[in-house]
Amino acid sequence: MSETLKILLIAITLIYLFIIIRAVKKRKMHINYSIFWIFTGVILIISVLIPNFIENISDFLGFEKASNMVFCIAIFILFYLVLSLTSIVSKQYQQIVKLIQEVSMLKSDFNKEDKNENK
Amino acid sequence: MNKILIIIPAYNESKNIVDVCNSIKNYDKDLDYIVINDGSTDDTLKVCKENKLNYINLISNLGIGGAVQTGYKYAYEKDYDIAIQFDGDGQHDINYIKEICRKIQKNEVDFCIGSRFIDSTSSFKSTFLRRVGIKIIASILKIFCNVKVTDPTSGFRAGNKKVIELFSKCYPTDYPEPESIVFLVNHGIIISEVPVNMNERQSGKSSIYAWKSIYYMIRVSLAIVIDSITLSKSRGDK
Repeated sequence: MSETLKILLIAITLIYLFIIIRAVKKRKMHINYSIFWIFTGVILIISVLIPNFIENISDFLGFEKASNMVFCIAIFILFYLVLSLTSIVSKQYQQIVKLIQEVSMLKSDFNKEDKNENK
Repeated sequence: MNKILIIIPAYNESKNIVDVCNSIKNYDKDLDYIVINDGSTDDTLKVCKENKLNYINLISNLGIGGAVQTGYKYAYEKDYDIAIQFDGDGQHDINYIKEICRKIQKNEVDFCIGSRFIDSTSSFKSTFLRRVGIKIIASILKIFCNVKVTDPTSGFRAGNKKVIELFSKCYPTDYPEPESIVFLVNHGIIISEVPVNMNERQSGKSSIYAWKSIYYMIRVSLAIVIDSITLSKSRGDK
């Protein structure tokens, strides 16, 4: 890996980390979900700074090529992420249904009291 | 005398809803009803207001499951003894209300489903393909939950206090009828059926469109099978 490429990769990763941290500060991202993204940023920087970091792990685990390991791990992580997002969406869907029901019932009770007062 | 509530879910039923509510009042003045306006895009809400119907207006569309559950929550809060689901499109025949409540009032069963397929009382039995679909769902219910129901998709049903409490806490969404039967069986509810008459819907479309029917079958079958798996597990724990 050439020095220019290394500097470029590190710069991009730092920008990426900066965007995430700023999003957390501005409350645009929940801190629970930011942990994962900050973690990936740190791993990226480590793998650029330490020579043969990825290759050594890949050899140790017995992958034929380092890129195979990277793709394999990335796909598994993304699968897990999408699964957890699906379950988060389902949970929130249930919460929203309950919210709509309770608010609607409260609103209609409220309206009826209003009508009685008008009489 | 039992306190009976009729739950009428209504989505874009401005043409039928007043007739349905009037038919209830003409049938028996002691019957209470609640219209659940499920975020209709037509003037169902306006019609409810103008005719001073007893209604809850959902602030956003929830689909049939969420709307019916709101009715059960209302029944639970107001402490009703029996809740009856009754469609807002005039498909169900009001004259069978007493029949559907009878076994529940006698404490013989907890939940009673109005079926089109017992005897030949019903004038309207749906299309051939839909009947095949209903048969398949009924068979799956029989195999996985060991419960005999001839019309699992019927939306004309009545439940006692136990059922009201269960449904107010948990009710399936999307295509809720067959799934809710499994849910009740899981909680030890005794289910029975009575023959009822159903009319062809006066206007408005069925919630099950033709092109969605395959998805519907897969979705409902999967729900029944998955729910019944947890059933055998919880039984094993006891």
